[in-house]
Amino acid sequence: MSEILLELKDICKSYPDGSEKRVILDNVSLSVQAGEFAAVVGPSGSGKSTLLSVAGLLLSPDSGSILIAGKDVTGVSKKERTHIRRRQIGFVFQNHNLIPFLKTEDQLAFVQDKSLKDKIRTDDLLRELGIEKCRRQYPSKMSGGERQRAAIARAFVNDPDIIFADEPTASLDAERGRAVAEMIRAEVKRRGKAAVMVTHDTRILDLTDKVYRIENSRLVTER
Amino acid sequence: MRYAWKEITYEKRKYILIELLLILLMFMVLFLTGLASGLGRDVSSAIDTMDADQFIVDESAEKLITVSAVETGLLDKLRSDGFEAAPLDIQRMHIARPGSSEKLDITYFAIEPGSFAEPEVTEGSPLSESGAGHPILLDDNFKAEGISVGDKVVDPASGYEFTVAGFVKDRMYCHSSVGYISGDCYTELRLAYNPMYQTEYHAIAVKGDKAPDIDTEKYEAVSKHDIIQKIPSYTAEQMTVTMIVWVLVIVSAVIIGIFNYIMTLHKRRQFGVMKAIGLSSAELAGMVICEVCIISVFAGAVSLALTFGMAAGMPEKMPFFLEVPNALIVTAAFIAISVLSSLISVVNISRIDPMIAIGGGDNE
Ligand SMILES: Nc1ncnc2c1ncn2[C@@H]1O[C@H](COP(=O)(O)OP(=O)(O)OP(=O)(O)O)[C@@H](O)[C@H]1O
Ligand SMILES: [Mg+2]
Repeated sequence: MSEILLELKDICKSYPDGSEKRVILDNVSLSVQAGEFAAVVGPSGSGKSTLLSVAGLLLSPDSGSILIAGKDVTGVSKKERTHIRRRQIGFVFQNHNLIPFLKTEDQLAFVQDKSLKDKIRTDDLLRELGIEKCRRQYPSKMSGGERQRAAIARAFVNDPDIIFADEPTASLDAERGRAVAEMIRAEVKRRGKAAVMVTHDTRILDLTDKVYRIENSRLVTER
Repeated sequence: MRYAWKEITYEKRKYILIELLLILLMFMVLFLTGLASGLGRDVSSAIDTMDADQFIVDESAEKLITVSAVETGLLDKLRSDGFEAAPLDIQRMHIARPGSSEKLDITYFAIEPGSFAEPEVTEGSPLSESGAGHPILLDDNFKAEGISVGDKVVDPASGYEFTVAGFVKDRMYCHSSVGYISGDCYTELRLAYNPMYQTEYHAIAVKGDKAPDIDTEKYEAVSKHDIIQKIPSYTAEQMTVTMIVWVLVIVSAVIIGIFNYIMTLHKRRQFGVMKAIGLSSAELAGMVICEVCIISVFAGAVSLALTFGMAAGMPEKMPFFLEVPNALIVTAAFIAISVLSSLISVVNISRIDPMIAIGGGDNE
């Protein structure tokens, strides 16, 4: 039994909707182990991004608790949350969201925690993701797939416990999207990370270990 | 620092444009600063450079030397009290070359030859060592009028004649070039106009800050600084130009602030992403401030170099005098205000919610 790196317990989140409250997440619980690649699917507006934001410490839940690598981080300060996001969480966004004025190697150096320099080497990451040749290129000079792979490299650079990816393949065609999902899977397996990916693309679900669906604000296990 | 620089070099064109604008503005600021000191010196340099610390004027003169009258006896009293004192009369008149009808403005400083009120000559000889009759030392602006040592100059109305004994540098009073003559010549000149003229002094220059023992009902000891402030037009001119300088400094700095703020608004999403991936607001603020520092220091340095370069090639008569400390103060203030104005951006960044990184890319 592997270590549980992410654990959500009874998360509730609602947004005010006029005078009413609109419940987006209703008692959602989820746990992801090291080396496990989980997918979250569901219709548009069902709360997939909201779930990812809560788990990724970008959004506070109304109730419930979040444990990262066994540690309860539900009520920590804003400053501590930022620190955890940097050290223990890697994000891959729908749009690559790379910094336009940085070359790939600087994208990584920019977020890299200096004390970790030897642990995950930029060279290794770029090689594994097949973008060594983009090392000294600006995002504007790279293809969509390369940008997304650079974004994956950035997510892994601080040797995080968990990777959160929100529709990482949405801006790519089927073939490149699949290649990107394969890369995430390969890195997760190789480095023993936990990963949660939100996706609309049912064709890549076979790459994931587990599939969850959000239905009527609840999270159900589909596979 | 490193990343701020990377951003600037990535968006060269944008930053070069703003730099050009700032350099122009700062150049104007420094130029006006030089003009302010130049004008100030045009008004006050003859007093400012005099080796005196205070001036005794009559109490009703309101610190204005030219309308004051001091009895000659006071000079002896001050000297016997152990003060280094020298008489001074200031009189604005005209001179001309013999036979010429062209009148030149001059302000006579009538002094005691050999006293500390007499300036060093840069050419020719001092009043007391000149063999010629009625010697005069002229500000070297008169050289531009074609006058040289040994020439005769006359007071056009009375025909009183002087011989140019030498030249002195940077001696101006109230926008007029100064000519130094002896008290005796001055008395003779006045007698030519008014046979009833009684010798008295406009003021007595005193060295040292020790308060002299004078009849305070009648006289007043005024510091050099206050005397200069009271020279007609000095304060008004300085205030006007200084005000323009500071308004421009603030405008330039605010332009940086606004430019920076607009850039920040455009980059909200980028900052949101940076925060989402774990960079703290402090780190982002550091980057922004660093960027403003680079922009403003660069603009300051270039415009300093430009201004000093131009000052070197400026014609002698132009009232331009850029003092290094003044230029540095203005530049430092510009940089400081720029950095302050960038705090608006910093506040803005600290309010950005990293949530905007998640989801689509349309909410810039
Ligand atoms: N800040 C907010 N205030 C109010 N309502 C919000 C806010 N953010 C999201 N919502 C609502 O919460 C619901 C869930 O949003 P979320 O972005 O999680 O959906 P999603 O499942 O990611 O959808 P998609 O597949 O389109 O990305 C939506 O109906 C949205 O309108
Ligand atoms: Mg979404």
